[in-house]
Amino acid sequence: MKRRTWLLSGAGAFGTLVVGWGVLPARSRLGAASLMAPSAGSVALNGWIKITADGGAVLAMARSEMGQGVHTALPMLVAEELDLPLERVSIEQAGADAIYGNVAALVGSLPFHPSDMEEGHKTTSVRLGEWIVGKVARELGLNMTGGSSSVSDAWEPLRLAAATARASLLAAAAAQWNVPVGEISVQSGILTHPLGKKSHYGEWAQAASSLQPARVQLKSRKDWKLLGTPAPRKDIPAKVNGTAQFGMDVRLPGMLYAAARMCPMLGGTAGMTSPAAALKMPGVERFVNLPSNAGSTPGFAVVAKTWWHARQAVQAVEVQWQQRLERALDSSQVETALTKEAQTGEGFAFYSIGDTEKAESGAAQKVESIYAAPYLIHATMEPMNCTARVGDGTVEVWVPTQVPGAAREVAAKVSGVPLDKVVVHVTLLGGGFGRRLEVDLVAQAVRVAMECGGKPVQLIWSREEDHTHDFYRPMHVAALHASLDAQGQLTSLRIQSAGDAITPRQLARTVPLLSGPVDLPDKTTAEGLFDLPYSIANQRMSHVATHMGVPVGFWRSVGHSHNAFFSESFIDELAIAAKADPLDFRRRLLKDAPRHLAVLELAAEKADWGRPLPAGRARGVALHESFGSVVAEVVEVSLEGTLPRVHRVVCAVDCGVVVNPAIVARQMESAIVFALTAALYGQAEIKEGVVAQSNFHNYQMVKLAQAPTVETYLVPSDRLPSGVGEPGVPPLAPAVSNALAALTGVRRKRLPLV
Amino acid sequence: MELQINGKSVQADADPDMPLLWVLRDVLNMTGTKFGCGIAACGACTVHIDGAAVRSCVLPVSAVAGKRIQTIEALGTADKPHALQLAWIAQQVPQCGYCQSGMLMAAAALLEAKPKPTDADIDEAMSNICRCGTYQRIRAAIKQAAGVQS
Repeated sequence: MKRRTWLLSGAGAFGTLVVGWGVLPARSRLGAASLMAPSAGSVALNGWIKITADGGAVLAMARSEMGQGVHTALPMLVAEELDLPLERVSIEQAGADAIYGNVAALVGSLPFHPSDMEEGHKTTSVRLGEWIVGKVARELGLNMTGGSSSVSDAWEPLRLAAATARASLLAAAAAQWNVPVGEISVQSGILTHPLGKKSHYGEWAQAASSLQPARVQLKSRKDWKLLGTPAPRKDIPAKVNGTAQFGMDVRLPGMLYAAARMCPMLGGTAGMTSPAAALKMPGVERFVNLPSNAGSTPGFAVVAKTWWHARQAVQAVEVQWQQRLERALDSSQVETALTKEAQTGEGFAFYSIGDTEKAESGAAQKVESIYAAPYLIHATMEPMNCTARVGDGTVEVWVPTQVPGAAREVAAKVSGVPLDKVVVHVTLLGGGFGRRLEVDLVAQAVRVAMECGGKPVQLIWSREEDHTHDFYRPMHVAALHASLDAQGQLTSLRIQSAGDAITPRQLARTVPLLSGPVDLPDKTTAEGLFDLPYSIANQRMSHVATHMGVPVGFWRSVGHSHNAFFSESFIDELAIAAKADPLDFRRRLLKDAPRHLAVLELAAEKADWGRPLPAGRARGVALHESFGSVVAEVVEVSLEGTLPRVHRVVCAVDCGVVVNPAIVARQMESAIVFALTAALYGQAEIKEGVVAQSNFHNYQMVKLAQAPTVETYLVPSDRLPSGVGEPGVPPLAPAVSNALAALTGVRRKRLPLV
Repeated sequence: MELQINGKSVQADADPDMPLLWVLRDVLNMTGTKFGCGIAACGACTVHIDGAAVRSCVLPVSAVAGKRIQTIEALGTADKPHALQLAWIAQQVPQCGYCQSGMLMAAAALLEAKPKPTDADIDEAMSNICRCGTYQRIRAAIKQAAGVQS
């Protein structure tokens, strides 16, 4: 434990630390050079870095690009430490070794209160928990892109890998030139020595591969040239000319296409099916039954020469769908049940301090509210798809996935082919948002490919199948109670929420190894409620984990996506009850949270909080921490007729050290539009087991004409990098709702707002 | 069936009622044009037919025989990119990128019809869906390519 702790805290944000390899823990993430695929002319120096003959570098890319910029941000870490221009660092897909697993995401899933987790103030139990989970995560090597964790996870191992490679390359050059290493300088990948010697990395790679540097030093922040700059994204040129390859763009010789149809009733089954008519249709090759696997609803697929032929035919299959044996799922009944559980259930207390009962009995004023958030669909732009080939005792899969390791496991399980004979190719993802943490499509595609005699087959879901067979953002309901004293000071806050926990269900279907017989308390149910930054003497936050039966999954910002709406709307209610300005009310509660206060102040200042707006407009504010980052958003709204219109969103963020400010700004813009769509329109209604919102005509999206202007401001920070992809989502819904309440005097307590 | 695609005459073995999108993607392996919704609601499949932006997922291929079909693959070339492609890169518009072929084709048709579009023109023409929320960058890139003030 000591060694690891020393490495983590010692390396710190800016790595002035000198790491001696003699003390490296056994489960180091540097990795052996043999982990990288051999390629002619290139030499791997560790599990991450390969040096090309012309002196460039290849990075083993273990994270999926789904729009968040990770295929640029991670090469930036490597380019910086190697002193290479960013364009000289290319990527290739990482293998399956445990070093490529995501340790940060798992450590981030621990349900510790943030006040116990500040560096330098961590309690023994927090340190122990992080150490154990970190160790388990390193052993498991769960390769996952999610939880806004890619940069924080890569921060130490990638920079160390690059710095180690650089040190051995310089050592090789110094030995050959017979000069001290310290006299060699590197600029843009060119090594020079004052005696007139000059070369590039490619010339030293072979010699460097047998050297183990004694000392490796990470660059100090003051020496960074690339990190912190708005470097252009590497993936963009291919995304403006149609050449970027998403999962649906995979084309293989002899490839067939498959369309799936699943029981429209969630939890139901396919009864009698008659494919005879479908099989007679032009271009059709075969019919394949699809049993439930990795959480999927049972159904079937038709294979044909094009997807259009397959789709026509699969619609022509006669089937008698069977409703599940229990009562059919109904989202309004779920809401009624959750409302009751939130008020009267016995939830697990994630956080308790002081005595809320006593505070409530002595309160000058009490405020109570019930808030609700609906089921939501991910609706990635690229519909669900997976391409597979099964034959000669091997399986090959091409899939836009956030979890290549889990995809490989399920492909092996379904096909019965040994894991080492299964290869997964990760394509670009046309949106992920958590939907592609699931491997249901992989199971289905492999199942279909097993029937196709060694030919590759591309399984594509229609938009309708995608929307009606999602793993939905769960519906949650919260009952909130607060006490104010005679001066309008908040003396207690008691929240109980109710809703299905995602993590135990998701692990059971995707990573069965991590699934236990009993559901442990799931941080995602309570995040954004139990971990508020406000100083309130008496608090109790509990959650009733329910089993409603609707398939639920991780949706961009997960529990924060609804819990921030509950907590930050309620804080606004309390400000009004206290006859205080919502910004001032929050400021007063943040006396022990300077980081949050700074973010709030920056947003307020840039948004001209307090300056009068034209008639018919109002502002709203919300502040929320998620994935280690703090975001405040101030929105300006008006009504057009009866419909809310969001004109401007000012966003301030503290996400620690910023690798690329342009990517951060765009992720905030992205999160805000994504969250605005959900806040205004998002709702999956289930009646008789069927999801009513089947396509974009009835699952409405914010479009360009309704998109607000977003301004993003970064708080300078020396903290370790924290999340960027998700933290912009949570504050948006409460900020809009708070602004509408200010404008109309009516408080909305249920999403969506339109 | 003979089609005029990107200035070339192309033979496609396709049913007359097959939507143009699937002829492009699955018969001709031109995958730059994307499938998003299948009901002409999202615009990911936007191509140009005789210069106008059209959603190809519900357009029977028989309806475009003899017409000029243009796809993202021929919006510009490596040597001579379209002004919008340059602006898209300058503004760093794409995120996941899946909708961007359709967005670019919609924007290119807009600039053909209205070389100096107003905000209202852009609002009206750009009705495609982007789940990554790149809208404000799209607006800025169109204005940059058109040389109008932001």
